[in-house]
Formats: sequence, structure tokens, C-alpha cells
Amino acid sequence: MPAASAIRTLVVDDQLTMRSLVRASLQQIGVRDIEEAPDGEAALRSLLVQPVHLVISDFNMPNLDGLSLLRAIRAHPPISKTAFIMLTGRADRELVQRAVQFGVNNYLVKPFTTAQLKEKLEAVFGPLT
Amino acid sequence: MIGAAVQEPGERRVHVGQGDHYVSSDPDVVLTTVLGSCVALCLRDPEAGVGGMNHFLLPEGAGTDAGAGRRYGAYLMEVLINDVLKAGGRRDRLEAKLFGGGRMFDALTDIGAANAAFAERFMADEGIAVVGGSLRGAGGRRLHYWPVSGRARQRAVTDQAALPSSTPRTPPLASAGDLELF
Repeated sequence: MPAASAIRTLVVDDQLTMRSLVRASLQQIGVRDIEEAPDGEAALRSLLVQPVHLVISDFNMPNLDGLSLLRAIRAHPPISKTAFIMLTGRADRELVQRAVQFGVNNYLVKPFTTAQLKEKLEAVFGPLT
Repeated sequence: MIGAAVQEPGERRVHVGQGDHYVSSDPDVVLTTVLGSCVALCLRDPEAGVGGMNHFLLPEGAGTDAGAGRRYGAYLMEVLINDVLKAGGRRDRLEAKLFGGGRMFDALTDIGAANAAFAERFMADEGIAVVGGSLRGAGGRRLHYWPVSGRARQRAVTDQAALPSSTPRTPPLASAGDLELF
């Protein structure tokens, strides 16, 4: 059973408010090691220097959007196995299906609750302590 | 009929209800709404000539950092911002006007103040310039906003029956499981 506190996480969203809300939910779940990036490009730069276990990323972002970030991560062998949860503004079937093709681990529709985020983390990592 | 004022020729009115938003680049479009303790964000990119309005009421507890209210509010702000950007707006040129957040006569707690505080903090955190508007005060407002020119007009609403309910619409959390892929 993995410990939530051991999951190093990168939160990627162009809105500071959303990043701080995701961070607050993660902290409630017990995740302690949280980095943030304002877009896909900054996220990729950060990941190549400092890999994480989990990326939680918005879809709509300037520079590199969430889907392009996912593809880039899967194409870089040192970080290609990073778990990836996509945040979307609505349950857009086409977007989610494309994300699945590119190897997304799970997705979460905004606005979400802390319990829903925990459910998705557990779907990816197994039950958390 | 809510809009009592005489309509200009060629003008097209669009009513924005609670929980809704609307974006347009048509100079003939006038966005209208009636606000009690709700807040409307009027947002536009003056150079791109595109703008829009939302209309929200946060559930109780919106003041706490991780509260459901803030998450719902942030979501409603984001969908408006994203639609303005999709229609050609640029984030660094966005300017906002905030209206509403009134203290209602029958309210035990000042929900309007919480809504207003959330909206102001959101704009400050996201670095979006607030160039005008009218928040708080007693009673309701009828608001007209021209999303292309940025002109806004409000009138006090004294008729309680004209004001929308101060019960927030249920946040659409149920949609999280719509697509059964996992």
C-alpha cells in the first residue's frame, strides 16, 4: 500500500487559483511533495530536471496544452512512465479518448471534490495510506 | 419580461442566468442579468473585440481555501476565461468588471460579501485587471454589458420579486463519472 506522502507530484494549470485548489486537496489526501507549473512547456522543462511520480494537468493551457504535454512525456524514455491524470472542464468524450490513446492514466472533471481526486489517485496507485 | 428598457434597433439581448456564461464578438449583443447576492464577471479583450459574462453564486463556505465553494467558483471563472481565449482573446490583455454581491434584505448571512471577496481575490491571483464595476451594497442590480465595447450599465432593483433566488444551483459534480473509461 503506497503512502500518499511518498508520491511526488507536479500540478500543471495556467490558473493559479486552480493550482492552489489542487494543492490543497492533495495536502488533505496526505501528498506532501508538490511542485507547480503554469503550462505544459514549463512542466516538461521541470520534469526533465526533476522527475515526479505523478502529473496532474489541465487540458486548456497556453504554449503546450495538456494533451501535448502527455504525448511529450510518453515520448521521453526517462520520464515516459510518469503517471498522468488529466483535468478537463467537461466530460468531453473525444478529448478523453484521445488522452487514453496517448496513455493517460485517468481523468477528472472540474469542479471535483477531494474525495474524487483521492479515488482517481487510488485507481492509479492502489489504496493509499 | 425582465428587460424593461427600450431595446435599441439591431440590438440583440442575451440573458445570462445563474451558473451560465456567454461569450460574443458581436457588437450588437447586450448581455443582461439580474443580480442579488450573485456576482457577474464581465470580461473582455479590448483589442480582439471579444468579451463575455458569467453569473455565479457560491455555496456556503466559499471563504475557506479548499472549500467546495471556491472550487466551483474557480471552475465557473475558468470556463468563461477559456471561452474568451478560444474566441481570440489574449490572457495578458483581459480586463474585468465585477458586479453584484449585494446584501439582501432577508439574508441571515452576507453571502453577497463572500461572493464579492472570492471574485476580487480570483482576479488578483490571476493578474487580471479590474477596470470597473460595482460590488456589495444593499439590494439587487439589473445589469447590461456590451461585451465588445466593454460598456456596462446597472440599475438598482427594488422589486424583490424580480430578483433570482439566493439558493446556489447545485455544482455539476455528478458529471465526473459520465465517461466510463476507467
